[in-house]
Amino acid sequence: MFLDSDLLMSALRALTPILLAALGGALCERAGVFNIGLEGMMLMGCFTAVATSWFTGSPWLGVLAAALAAAAYSLILAVGAVTLRGDAVVLGVAMNLLAVGLTSFLLRTVFGVQGTFDDPSLAGLPLVGGFSPLAYLAWAAVGVSALLLSRHVWGLRLRGVGEAPDAAATLGVSPARYKYAAVLVSGVLCGLAGAQLALGNVTLFSENMTAGRGWIAVVAVMLGRALPLGVLLAALLFGLAEAAGFRLQGLGMPQQATDAAPYVVTLVALFLSTAQRRRRTARTTGNARTTGVAP
Amino acid sequence: MPRTPTRRSRSLRLAAVASGAVLVAGAATGCNAAAKKDDGPSAEGGGRSFTLVTPDPVGQNQFLKLAVDGVKAAAKAHDGTQKVYQSSDSASQQQNVQAAVDAAPDVVVLVGFEFADLVAQQAEAHPKQQFLVVDACTAKTYANVSCAVFREHEGVYLAGAEAGLLSESGRVGAVDVLDTPQFRRYSDPFAAGAKKVAPKTSADTRFVGGQSPFDDSARAKEQANSLLAKGTDHIMAAAAAGNYGVFEAAGAKKAYAYGVDVNQCTAAPGTVVDNVIKKTDVAVREGVEQVLDGKGGRTVSYGLKEGGISLTGLEDGVESSKCVIAEHRDVLAKVEALRDRIVSGELKVDDPAAE
Repeated sequence: MFLDSDLLMSALRALTPILLAALGGALCERAGVFNIGLEGMMLMGCFTAVATSWFTGSPWLGVLAAALAAAAYSLILAVGAVTLRGDAVVLGVAMNLLAVGLTSFLLRTVFGVQGTFDDPSLAGLPLVGGFSPLAYLAWAAVGVSALLLSRHVWGLRLRGVGEAPDAAATLGVSPARYKYAAVLVSGVLCGLAGAQLALGNVTLFSENMTAGRGWIAVVAVMLGRALPLGVLLAALLFGLAEAAGFRLQGLGMPQQATDAAPYVVTLVALFLSTAQRRRRTARTTGNARTTGVAP
Repeated sequence: MPRTPTRRSRSLRLAAVASGAVLVAGAATGCNAAAKKDDGPSAEGGGRSFTLVTPDPVGQNQFLKLAVDGVKAAAKAHDGTQKVYQSSDSASQQQNVQAAVDAAPDVVVLVGFEFADLVAQQAEAHPKQQFLVVDACTAKTYANVSCAVFREHEGVYLAGAEAGLLSESGRVGAVDVLDTPQFRRYSDPFAAGAKKVAPKTSADTRFVGGQSPFDDSARAKEQANSLLAKGTDHIMAAAAAGNYGVFEAAGAKKAYAYGVDVNQCTAAPGTVVDNVIKKTDVAVREGVEQVLDGKGGRTVSYGLKEGGISLTGLEDGVESSKCVIAEHRDVLAKVEALRDRIVSGELKVDDPAAE
């Protein structure tokens, strides 16, 4: 039996942290800030969640602290890219590198261990119906952000700020304020993603434990064209590809091949969505070649 | 050489914070910030001198603690002195190796795969300096570099035998880091050992893989889950930091796991049955002897026979190890018999990394 509930559960567990981070990335994208610091913000969330849960005994305080810490960490991007008009890509890469070093350093100074902090008495998040409460929050966040971006005035202004900041400014909307808000919310979401990873998926902290999930989230943002539902589908695709990859190993497929599964899926999805967009553009304009791919 | 799980991964002991603070205080007073020097007996009286360079702070790292014990034992046996330079990152590893070479002791002992390339450069530059590399070796052989490597597969085979004897479902499995011959030493012999004692056992292996296979405990946990979903009830955990994820998955399903390198039973009491341990003290002590006897430049492998590889269950102090195997004396007796057959050469364990 290949497709069963275990596979689906495994895929959904893999999905949650990626989805939370990718929603944050999508908001930034709509506000015109290209956020590739998701991985680093998530890692900060992981460490803060574990440290807070350990010292207070409450995983909920851990979740809260993770959200706050990652939001504070995201200020680097907000100040750097919005106020100081620095390059968001450079800042994002720096944030990712800094987070790995900083959390490893803190692991050593706070816990006096290297590599992994794990203790049987570390309190993790409880499971509700097989999933951590943050998983439900992630699903809810998809709906909320979809409504916000398509219906609510804040969402519409946020999109305006992203697409035409000068026009927004002439209407009395402060682009800087909306960009700050988007980056901070992405920080909160990445913090939650980190808390989910470190107190939900597993109950421990290890150096670099995000292991590329933030980058997968960045790809999910692009693949989902920064639409909350699109991002959800993209993240789900990755989750399924990963879970199916594990299962394929059991059927004798070599690990090197199953490792490639998420990337193959990305390529196929990119190819299909680009082809579809080209067809649509061709239909509306009558000439796909000159108009190219609409953003 | 396989990057072994517990080298970088320690479970917390609050005491570690205290000892860490002491170490930091010690470093602050030292003159060389890169090297935390742990000077042995100060008597320089004509004895031998040995310097151990570790890739990480020793702290609670049992693997490195044993190496320190080994170099201390060597110093004692030769009425000599020993120093321990503890590194914290790759830059300080390099500085510490340089500092060790500059002091020109009789033997520079390096523990860990991190030093394989570093020592090759130093060995060429300082042909008169003797080096001993433990748990790794240089790609080329040098007359002044001796290596001590381990036959992990022999220990994994015995762990597999325990799993075969204890498994109720008749399914065992392993979560390994990467699908390479070196890492397969932690999975293939596990299956072979289980099948040796219970021929009907079926075995399966999952490899963590991905972008950072050594750090990804969430992925390792999912891999373990996919084994558990098929009814596997005994899992060999050889996934570096991912081991903790494997223990969590096994613990949640009331299944059992096996650790590596050091006693990992304390990380998940009631879940971890036994551990395949590397006795670096034996390798350091005997490696030093070999160099001093003028037999440097060779690679010696340590397995069950040499006492370089063992199981927590076969060592002293099983009762206090928190390992599940302590409750299964009958299984241990059978595993001991199996070990004796391997030691005598009657039974040979296939090495997946053999060329």
